[in-house]
Amino acid sequence: MSILVDEQTRVLVQGITGRAARHHVELMQRYGTRVVSGVRPGAAGERVHGVPVFDTVREAVSDTAANAAVLFVPAAVMRESALETLQAGVRLLVMVTEHVPRHDTMWLLASAREMGARIIGPNTPGLIAPGTHCKIGFLPADYYRPGPVGVASRSGTLTYEIVARLSAAGIGQSTCLGVGGDAVVGTTFAEVARLFETDPETQAMLFIGEVGGGMEEELAGLVHAGEITKPLVAYIAGRTAPEGKRMGHAGAIVAGGRGSLKSKLAALGDAGVPVAALPGDVPELVRQALKVN
Amino acid sequence: MIHLREYQAKRIFSANGIRVPRGMLARSPEEAAAACRELGTAVVLKPQLGVKGRAKAGGIAFADSPALARTGAQRLLGADIRGERVELLLVEEKVAIEQELYLAATIDYHERQPVLVASTAGGVDIEIVARTQPDKILRIGVDIRQGPAANALATVARHLGTTAGDWLGRLYALFRRYDAELVEINPLVITADNVCVAVDAVLNGDEDALFRQPELEQLRQELPAEDPVAAEARERHWTYIDLPGNIGILSSGAGLTMAILDLIQDRGGRPANFLDTAQIDGPGVYDAFDLCQRAKKVDVLLVNFFAGLNRCDQLAEGIRRYVREKPLQSPVVVRLVGNQETAGHRILRETGIPSFRNLEEAVDRAVRLAGEKRPADTPQDSSA
Repeated sequence: MSILVDEQTRVLVQGITGRAARHHVELMQRYGTRVVSGVRPGAAGERVHGVPVFDTVREAVSDTAANAAVLFVPAAVMRESALETLQAGVRLLVMVTEHVPRHDTMWLLASAREMGARIIGPNTPGLIAPGTHCKIGFLPADYYRPGPVGVASRSGTLTYEIVARLSAAGIGQSTCLGVGGDAVVGTTFAEVARLFETDPETQAMLFIGEVGGGMEEELAGLVHAGEITKPLVAYIAGRTAPEGKRMGHAGAIVAGGRGSLKSKLAALGDAGVPVAALPGDVPELVRQALKVN
Repeated sequence: MIHLREYQAKRIFSANGIRVPRGMLARSPEEAAAACRELGTAVVLKPQLGVKGRAKAGGIAFADSPALARTGAQRLLGADIRGERVELLLVEEKVAIEQELYLAATIDYHERQPVLVASTAGGVDIEIVARTQPDKILRIGVDIRQGPAANALATVARHLGTTAGDWLGRLYALFRRYDAELVEINPLVITADNVCVAVDAVLNGDEDALFRQPELEQLRQELPAEDPVAAEARERHWTYIDLPGNIGILSSGAGLTMAILDLIQDRGGRPANFLDTAQIDGPGVYDAFDLCQRAKKVDVLLVNFFAGLNRCDQLAEGIRRYVREKPLQSPVVVRLVGNQETAGHRILRETGIPSFRNLEEAVDRAVRLAGEKRPADTPQDSSA
């Protein structure tokens, strides 16, 4: 088991004819993901690594029964493309594209909420469920091992860094998911925690956070309220980041005390969540969390 | 985020039907005196800055005559307010205040939708009002596809006790039209003649929406020039941040770069800056090296690449090419892991650059090298 994706997941790739999309279609296929169709207006009839291309999402869905989509389209057309995908009935959208305007993301979230769909991202490396051979997006498969830990992160490369250490320590993962580095994202830490809570395979959770925003505090609130009963560990990057400077991720800016390390540590501490100070401390804390269970 | 200066925001507000005080810009005491004469009334001199809190820092002057405007401007121009030098003043007619309100349209990051904020406690820091008098603040969530409901705006009008509720609708239209992260009027002044005037104006734009906001892009060009290295990095969608220490960092990925900052400081080192590139290839590394060399003189450059999708050998090749063509200003320490890492490390070894697979070892080496360079500055890492 896993969250959101599994062996039954049939993936549609929007913007499949782009260079990055082609490359990642191949990597996803090699991992075992069922990539069933692609969309690129005007390119119907083409094939990308054997995957049939359609002009519209509706045609792709009705011909190939796709039930998840990954969007490799440019930020300027993300809103239009994602709306088309939602309207065609797809209920899981992974938006890997960076630099999507915030108003567009808010618009898409309002539509997704209404339609009961889930958006991951934007600005996410995607997700991977090592036990089910399914990955959507561009998380590098080599570093993941099947196992009991659910992982969610705001950052791509930091996830690779930490998951590589977990795997090297013999600790596998049920699902790893990048929620995205933007200030407004479709799926938050708290929502991922609820999904891991009900996933039988997940025995412990790891959240890789950053300074800025309020996602870690919201997660802590959920744990504090007793809604999350599985053991949970957090790591927060940027504890020495200067206030008021945007640290690369739009979400990672500490301004006026909002999203400060202090506020996150206080909230997580109140909820009894152990927080690693450095990446190297994470595997041991996760190991202890698994023992508790 | 793009933070417009007050005079720029007011230009936009005014063009969109929101009344602002009459005003003129002044770059010298003479221009300030002339502006006061031209406006023909008592004026306020307001420094045009990127930082907040100028009033608290004593950065606002009042003048009843051109002569006083001149002396006020003499005091303000060139002064340092919260770390920023005053170069430009907005000289505005002084408005007779009967009542001060607060209005804003912004993003509710928790609900992930727009929110309208209104308060009868205007003219003071809204965060303080939120803490001390939460009942004085009205917040209304908005479905971005529909815009604010008419009855919601009516509720605001009742709360404010004036026709200013109508202004909130206009402010929301501005928020949408300019892809704003925040539009704020604090205070919105109701004058003795019952006229509404936006005495201050804030408009923060979304950098990622600039491609469809030519007017904001234009106004950005008017802003004081940013650090040229940061500007060049931004052009490439990289992030460059200047810091006070002596260890330069070149790394890919925002989260990992922050973790490296933490690690360096944990080991007693002090970062000088960082350049965060996304996943780059060999030629990208060459350019990134070049930017780092031009940015600032550092005592050691720590390079970190976790090649999940790109390849270590290509990254190492980019470094080798750079080092062969251009003299390095400081020692380089590389941490390289990922695809084709053995080949990558071989190339770096041949080039004479120390390379590591383990992040902590690379950081320790960089911190030690930086400490040797400046033992007096960094006594705390003498034992590292």
